Amino acid sequence: MISLQNVSKFYPPTQKGGKPVLAVDDFDAQIEAGEFVCIVGPSGCGKTTVLNMVAGFESVSQGDIVVNGVPVRKPGPDRAVVFQQPSLLPWMTVFDNIGFGLTLQEGRKTRSHDKVAKIIEIMGLKGFENHFPYQLSGGMQQRAAIARALITEPQMLLMDEPFGALDAQTRTDMQKFLLTIWDRLRPTVLFITHDVEEAIVLADRVIVMTPRPGRIAQVIDIGLGRPRNWDMVLSPEFLRYKKEVLHILRPPHSQTAG
Amino acid sequence: MGYSYMASDELDAESAEGALEQKVWKEDKKPYRGYVPWLVAVIMIALWWGVTALNLFPPTALPSPGAVVHDFITVATVGYSGEPLLTSTLYSLGRITTGFIAAVVVGVPIGFWMASTDWVFLAIDPLLQFLRPIPPLAYIPVMIVWFGIGETSKVVLIFFCTIPIIIISAMSGVKSVQETRIRVAQCLGANKRQIFRYVIFPSALPEIFTGMRVGIGIAWTCLVAAEMIAASKGLGWMIESAGNELQIGVVFVGIVMIGLLGYGMELIIRSIEHRVTPWKGKA
Ligand SMILES: Nc1ncnc2c1ncn2[C@@H]1O[C@H](COP(=O)(O)OP(=O)(O)OP(=O)(O)O)[C@@H](O)[C@H]1O
Ligand SMILES: [Mg+2]
Repeated sequence: MISLQNVSKFYPPTQKGGKPVLAVDDFDAQIEAGEFVCIVGPSGCGKTTVLNMVAGFESVSQGDIVVNGVPVRKPGPDRAVVFQQPSLLPWMTVFDNIGFGLTLQEGRKTRSHDKVAKIIEIMGLKGFENHFPYQLSGGMQQRAAIARALITEPQMLLMDEPFGALDAQTRTDMQKFLLTIWDRLRPTVLFITHDVEEAIVLADRVIVMTPRPGRIAQVIDIGLGRPRNWDMVLSPEFLRYKKEVLHILRPPHSQTAG
Repeated sequence: MGYSYMASDELDAESAEGALEQKVWKEDKKPYRGYVPWLVAVIMIALWWGVTALNLFPPTALPSPGAVVHDFITVATVGYSGEPLLTSTLYSLGRITTGFIAAVVVGVPIGFWMASTDWVFLAIDPLLQFLRPIPPLAYIPVMIVWFGIGETSKVVLIFFCTIPIIIISAMSGVKSVQETRIRVAQCLGANKRQIFRYVIFPSALPEIFTGMRVGIGIAWTCLVAAEMIAASKGLGWMIESAGNELQIGVVFVGIVMIGLLGYGMELIIRSIEHRVTPWKGKA
């Protein structure tokens, strides 16, 4: 369980004598064990900041983040992260990158070849095991980064716009794959996205944020049933949720803003 | 368990093999430019020859290429002052290599340590910056007093002149590591040692190699100074002593030898660099 208790985050002023930047303001949310929660919000509203605080990369300025009863102090292998920017290690092959978490656990180069090979196949990266990241396309790099996060089967998955770099078809495939995994392993997922449809398709709950400083505008429960039927994106229910979220993101009286 | 339950057909893997057969791979050929360095060498030698043939300078100031080749053969066979060229070359190579390798072996860990610990940086940095501008010649008396006139003082001189750039490059290599990459390792459960081994060290490698390439050049520039310390063998000694006897041809032989050896060492380090850090500049 992830519990964010009235969390605020200030970044230090960018210039001397400037004011500190309030990136996240009074963020209060509970994410139950095994729950799939999406955060949507405009660019720069503090989504990545929230995720970085849960991961333990950034400290909170005010409030507390408690994971399974323990306040977050530093990053840990219980919370795997998929980063928004490319993050594969350029000096390792695709195989070694994906097996990196296992290598760290085992204290030497991983011997769980089957495990790595299996996920490489699932991610459509077969034949690229011995390539270096710079020899892959952006979307392939991102798929490898997702595989790296999944391979240790973490209790919690923190994903920062993981599918942003993928084409529509691969993106749908990845969404299905993620939901299948989630269904079997039931990790707690905190998933950040720009894409309102993606949020509704995936999540049990969608947290909609305001533009900076990031606050929670509204939390919407998605009652679309599981496992998700992919045709539902055309259903009136789905469209109602979509309208609701878009309405919060772009209130009718401020069409031009954002 | 885990994702491994998934049959691979649940998610189609890309299968482009079929289409591949009809297409032919054509290498992206760059025009051949390997002759450029040779061309430059030929032009330089031709210019040198032209200038001497026109007698623009007295032969005691600029000997002709032919005279230098003649001196080379003499020095290589008979030797200079009884020391054959090969002996001098091997002695110089030995001093340079020992001093340089010692500088890398000692300098890289110091650089890492300075980058990771504030007080170590504050303690060593002033010392380093203080030593850096001191010319190698100024060290000579100190080296003789401290380390005598044997091989040690010569190697130590080269070591001292080379180590600052190695320390600085190792330090800046560590500082240039991308935060996200450290975070990747942290959230997969890496301890401090593993973060160093899998992230920080490889990140620093490209800059360490650049430092080594600069450093090997510095080491060679110190050679004459080092061999002014009571040497009776070595290329630096040969240049210094032939210069005093106005045997300008032998001086040129020494200069060309140092230039070629320095170039060769640079090429060796460069090829190791290519092999060890193939991703350099691409990520
Ligand atoms: N390291 C930092 N130092 C100072 N300010 C920062 C820092 N990181 C982020 N910010 C500020 O905090 C705000 C929130 O940034 P954040 O990266 O969390 O946005 P985001 O919601 O993830 O945006 P996007 O959707 O574009 O990724 C931004 O407006 C940015 O200016
Ligand atoms: Mg972001």
